[in-house]
Amino acid sequence: MNPSIKLLLLFIIALEISFTTIISLNIALVILATLYLLWRRTSLKTLGWLLIVPLLPAIGLWSTQYINGTGDNAQMAWVLFTRIYAFVFTGATFTLTTDILELADALEQNWHLPAKFAYGVLAAYNLVPKIQHEVKVIRMAGLMRGQTLSFWSPKLYFKAILVSINWSQNLAQAMQSHGFVEDAPRTHYRHVPLRASDWSILVIGIGLLQIGAFAIPWR
Amino acid sequence: MKWAKSWYLSDVILLALIGIFFGAIFMGTNYVYDVLTAALSPIGLGGLANELLLGLWCMPGMLAGYMLRLKGSATLGELLAATVEMFFGGQWGIATLISGIVQGFGAELGYIVTRYKHYDWLGLTASAATTTIVTFGWDLARNGYYKLQLWLLILYFVVRFISMFVFGGLLTRLITDMLDRSHVLKSSHSN
Repeated sequence: MNPSIKLLLLFIIALEISFTTIISLNIALVILATLYLLWRRTSLKTLGWLLIVPLLPAIGLWSTQYINGTGDNAQMAWVLFTRIYAFVFTGATFTLTTDILELADALEQNWHLPAKFAYGVLAAYNLVPKIQHEVKVIRMAGLMRGQTLSFWSPKLYFKAILVSINWSQNLAQAMQSHGFVEDAPRTHYRHVPLRASDWSILVIGIGLLQIGAFAIPWR
Repeated sequence: MKWAKSWYLSDVILLALIGIFFGAIFMGTNYVYDVLTAALSPIGLGGLANELLLGLWCMPGMLAGYMLRLKGSATLGELLAATVEMFFGGQWGIATLISGIVQGFGAELGYIVTRYKHYDWLGLTASAATTTIVTFGWDLARNGYYKLQLWLLILYFVVRFISMFVFGGLLTRLITDMLDRSHVLKSSHSN
């Protein structure tokens, strides 16, 4: 399926369930997402992880609403609890099955996102492991001089920004020296088709969501 | 797209890199969030952890708006950080992206109301205020805040603004002061 359409559908789902208060709808979405993930051969370990990670924030929201809510607070508490899981599971159907390269290709080819945005983000994304390492290096360098750099130390961010400025110019230069020209038309090696079936899935998905949100008399 | 022309490739990469760097630093604060949430949940104040740390997560947007001084840089800075986090930090999926847009737009609004002219305390404070208001409006629906008792809402709002001001205002100002003194900003936007 076209990654951009998939993202759009999930985006609409996430937006809509932010405003609905139907517990069963949230649970139905979690089940559908789980089935899809199983069909895409997601490991049980990953699914278990998806269950555990949001537990703490979900409990936080639940207890806030249960203890300090107004009106039908138990109902709202469970709405929020299940909503978090609906966010996480529907989101996982995208992040676990699509990589950022496919999304960038789709946004550039199907939606005419300027190439510098698509490839610029990709270039930065590929540095993630290096960036994690660099944060350690900066902290270590601080320690050697007797400075503990914590997340509230401006110096830590300052040094990170200096590295970012340096790397961004190097990367841009490297891309340009390999023939990347800003705002010039490009040809594509990987083609991302946008088929009629993608549009049908989007329309059907949104339609089903409306039935779930407005037509089915959930209890 | 005239707007896109004012952006250089290196600007886009820079914003994305800063977003990832900050994200990598914020990972270290997860334990603060976990401990606070676990401690405060039994008395129904679990959301406070989020309120206290939210300013941190909104910092890339405010800082990007201040650093690049281009229309849309605050929104884009936060959005890029969220996009990368969606794929790499992972578990919040699409919700990260929506939060990124909301937070980025909130930060941008502060620079919009000061007409992209006040890269000083006024601009930063305005940005902290608008980010608080916009994200709070979103949480009224998303996190069901509209159902909470009034005193708690006020408490959350005040704490959130303080967090925005401390991280997005004070800390951002300290960082940008260092950048100004080192004269790196001018060279970063002229290649």
